[in-house]
Amino acid sequence: MNDLPLIQNANMFLSDRPSVYAFRQQSLLSLTKKGYPTLKSEAWKYTDIRPILNQKLTLEHNDLCNHCHCQTEKDDSFALNIFFCNGKLHIEDFNTPPGLNITPLPLALYNKEYTSYIGHAYDADKHPFAALNGFYLEEGLCICVEKAAKIAKPLTINYNAHSPDGRQIHLHNIFIIEKGADIEIVENYTADSDATYFNNIVNEIYIKEGGKLNHYIIQKESHSAYHIALNAAKIQKSGTYHQYYKASGAKISRHENLINLEGPSANAEIYAAYTAKKECLNDITTNINHLSQNTTSSQYVKGVLEENSSAVFQGKIHIAPHADKTCGTQLHKALYLNDNANLNCKPELEIFADDVKCSHGASCGEINKDQLFYLISRGISKKEAIKILTEAHLNEIFALIPNEKIQNKYFY
Amino acid sequence: MATPLLEIKDLHARVQDKEIIKGLNLTINRGEIHALMGPNGAGKSSLSYVLCGKDGYEVTSGTILFKGQDLLSMPAEERARNGLFLSMQSPVEIPGVIVSNFLKQSLNSVLKHRKQEELDTINFMKLLRSEAEKLGIKPEFLKRFVNVGFSGGEKKRFETLQMSLLKPDFCILDEIDSGLDVDALKIVAEGVNSLHTQDNAFLVITHYQRLLEDIVPDIVHIFADGKIIKTGDKSLAAQIEKSGYASFLTKDKQ
Ligand SMILES: Nc1ncnc2c1ncn2[C@@H]1O[C@H](COP(=O)(O)OP(=O)(O)OP(=O)(O)O)[C@@H](O)[C@H]1O
Ligand SMILES: [Mg+2]
Repeated sequence: MNDLPLIQNANMFLSDRPSVYAFRQQSLLSLTKKGYPTLKSEAWKYTDIRPILNQKLTLEHNDLCNHCHCQTEKDDSFALNIFFCNGKLHIEDFNTPPGLNITPLPLALYNKEYTSYIGHAYDADKHPFAALNGFYLEEGLCICVEKAAKIAKPLTINYNAHSPDGRQIHLHNIFIIEKGADIEIVENYTADSDATYFNNIVNEIYIKEGGKLNHYIIQKESHSAYHIALNAAKIQKSGTYHQYYKASGAKISRHENLINLEGPSANAEIYAAYTAKKECLNDITTNINHLSQNTTSSQYVKGVLEENSSAVFQGKIHIAPHADKTCGTQLHKALYLNDNANLNCKPELEIFADDVKCSHGASCGEINKDQLFYLISRGISKKEAIKILTEAHLNEIFALIPNEKIQNKYFY
Repeated sequence: MATPLLEIKDLHARVQDKEIIKGLNLTINRGEIHALMGPNGAGKSSLSYVLCGKDGYEVTSGTILFKGQDLLSMPAEERARNGLFLSMQSPVEIPGVIVSNFLKQSLNSVLKHRKQEELDTINFMKLLRSEAEKLGIKPEFLKRFVNVGFSGGEKKRFETLQMSLLKPDFCILDEIDSGLDVDALKIVAEGVNSLHTQDNAFLVITHYQRLLEDIVPDIVHIFADGKIIKTGDKSLAAQIEKSGYASFLTKDKQ
């Protein structure tokens, strides 16, 4: 068992409170049974994770963050800010508005109301890194928006990587949006060095009847880091989940969405813009399951591939039998900056109902030569012109962001 | 004698293995306005792309001196910064790029090259708004994406606006009259005339004599099959308007 890469101190993690212990053991069992994915695993066939396993990454034991200047800005007028530094939460009094409960995961693990949510949005057998994350279940947040509460200010979770060289970091968040509640959550991943570390995140998202979550994710990890995230959402009747994702960091980045539209008229929309940097891999994998009638989903993903980069887009829309009058759309547009870039695009439609509307499309191309010439012929350098055009390509996604402050602060 | 602004000698150029410019000679001095007229597909736009250094337009032989310097050894952005400007026949739409941002970057790259002070946003916007107003361009327009959804006439006004900001030494106007209504034609022609000084020059490519009544050329060239086949004064334009190119083309063949 200790031969499994990334698993350390198993005894320590398996001797906690019984409820937590059981979950960690279950997770470890899944991982031991299934192993890490290989290029033969259907869901991972384009993303080779061996570099992560070969790094001999270690866990950090001290619970406190010693570098408190990572908490650089506290613009609380605009958003409620929470800080993690190298995976450790800055404990402080959250000045939370009524209707919003934020509980650090170690405390939430004592609360029966919350523990029942842990591990229910995904199947650990099918998500090996979520299983690894489950084994290390310790750090994270449980965010609960009470029934009918409309939280006006966005909640921003800042994850700062403060030179965590050689570390593995596992974070597990639970977002519970109760009936008719409404919130905007920003997750902001940043690094202050080009350290090699592994950030492994699981967000379990539960949206109850008529609830709404706008989820913004900005991934700017170090270009030597590994970032694997699973957003697993279960959305009830008329619930809405909108995700806006911007990625430009990490050596290997895997951003996976598993979205179950469980109640009638549930809706999910994913807008993503990524830049696959030189020598880096950017993977966006989305599974949307339409499990009920009148459910709708759309995905719009735009990417830029720099020289010697790789990108993966896998988007699966599954429509269950009797999930009639559903509508699922998917569009991916990539821009190559150089011939030496590698894009794997795998759209899949799995339709078991009759009365459905589904579409998918993909396009990829180089920078438009006429546009490039137009800019250059006005005195702008070729390098700047390429930058302007790639930004313009991604700006179409950012223009769709409903919150102007978030749009200006994090996306443009 | 002063160095000509532009001096093209025995120019041959091709695009995608097709020879388009076949031995062109043209000298333009400061202060002059030249008109270039010729049938569709003759290679007029191609000539302007060759001058501005568009990728794919390959010079196979000949020389071009611009202000006495070898133009062909300069990358396209250098040519622009050195004072060459092309008002394009069909300006391309660039979704996602905002007009004012684009123009600020363009002007500042040119100013920097001339070792002049770059403009900050406030001063740039002041200048931009006043230049736009002169051409009847509304301020809302400056927040739009470059050429996206512009009408034919709006595109041409926008080209003229760029010209008035960058103050180039040599401007090629490739069918700046196409798509303009009578009033817009007046405004654009006035804009061009107000830019014209004894230090700069214009090459006006057009199919219609109408434009040349407002922007009066010193010299008119007829361009066909990759070279200039006849040069004369503005009465040549009137002659073309009346009887077309046929007589010139057949004469050329004899
Ligand atoms: N990129 C290109 N690839 C292939 N052929 C080209 C290209 N550019 C120009 N040509 C061809 O070269 C010839 C000259 O075209 P050009 O646009 O220069 O003509 P023009 O004189 O400007 O015509 P018009 O009066 O219609 O604008 C045409 O036959 C055109 O099809
Ligand atoms: Mg033309």
